[in-house]
Amino acid sequence: MASLPKRIIKETEKLVSDPVPGITAEPHDDNLRYFQVTIEGPEQSPYEDGVFKLELFLPDDYPMEAPKVRFLTKIYHPNIDRLGRICLDVLKTNWSPALQIRTVLLSIQALLASPNPNDPLANDVAEDWIKNEEGAKAKAREWTKLYAKKKPE
Amino acid sequence: MSTYEEEHGIQQNSRDTRETRETSQEEQRRQVRSQLQELFQNFGSTGGEGNGHSDSTLLLQLLSQLLPESLQEEWLQEMDNGKNKGCPDTFAASLPRINKKVLKPSDNCSICYTNYLEDKYPLVVELPHCHHKFDLECLSVWLSRSTTCPLCRDDVMGHRVINEIDTTEAELEEDWGMYG
Repeated sequence: MASLPKRIIKETEKLVSDPVPGITAEPHDDNLRYFQVTIEGPEQSPYEDGVFKLELFLPDDYPMEAPKVRFLTKIYHPNIDRLGRICLDVLKTNWSPALQIRTVLLSIQALLASPNPNDPLANDVAEDWIKNEEGAKAKAREWTKLYAKKKPE
Repeated sequence: MSTYEEEHGIQQNSRDTRETRETSQEEQRRQVRSQLQELFQNFGSTGGEGNGHSDSTLLLQLLSQLLPESLQEEWLQEMDNGKNKGCPDTFAASLPRINKKVLKPSDNCSICYTNYLEDKYPLVVELPHCHHKFDLECLSVWLSRSTTCPLCRDDVMGHRVINEIDTTEAELEEDWGMYG
């Protein structure tokens, strides 16, 4: 494996020394481009009190190319499909090399706080969200309880 | 109406010798493949809008069933890459360089996170409109695939023409001053 760019080392150090509230990101021992991530569900969202696991991978071209991020925990959200793939502009066309792991994870946390059913990735969930928002939110809360329960440490 | 054989020149092959048939079959396969790719990308990009809407949708569905998913993804990626073409190679190199004296020790490139002054001979450029600074090397790579400023998303190519005229005028004036 090629040596790790200085930028990735700096970002990793900062993530550990100055973590974002409600978010953890730890590089894998064997592969420093692979991060295990947890994001706490934002307050007053259907994901409140949930802890969601994600994986984040920095491709060889990073930061010219966006990190690849995926939810590992099942989640009921119009912009996240059943494979955990996320529909978020900064991960695709609006990526910029001035963005970083920290800002990407903050954007994902913000996406949990404000789902966007008009730009769906999971079509059935989005449809449910538009037709019956209260019902959809109730289901999201239920899934949070079922799959994203905080484990006592 | 022409038959499938006629359209794909199969009839002609049946008369060929075995050897030429094999090479032309390969050629054909390539042609069919590129035709399929064109169809797929066309219908994919229009999303079946306009005339023949239902036909396009049906065809795209049919094509999607026939093509392996990996190939579809590859082609879609190709389309995306085509859309996000960067600036011409010469653009980044033509940007104004920043003198080492104006750089502060804490100034760093937001692409590689390295402080400019860590380098004895830093090669720093500034985007003319938004004045954001970057290492020339880092910015060149980014501008080969995008036309936006990494920090403010300003379309750097949008100001290019005006900027070029400005420089020419400045040079002209200078010349006039010297020789006029």
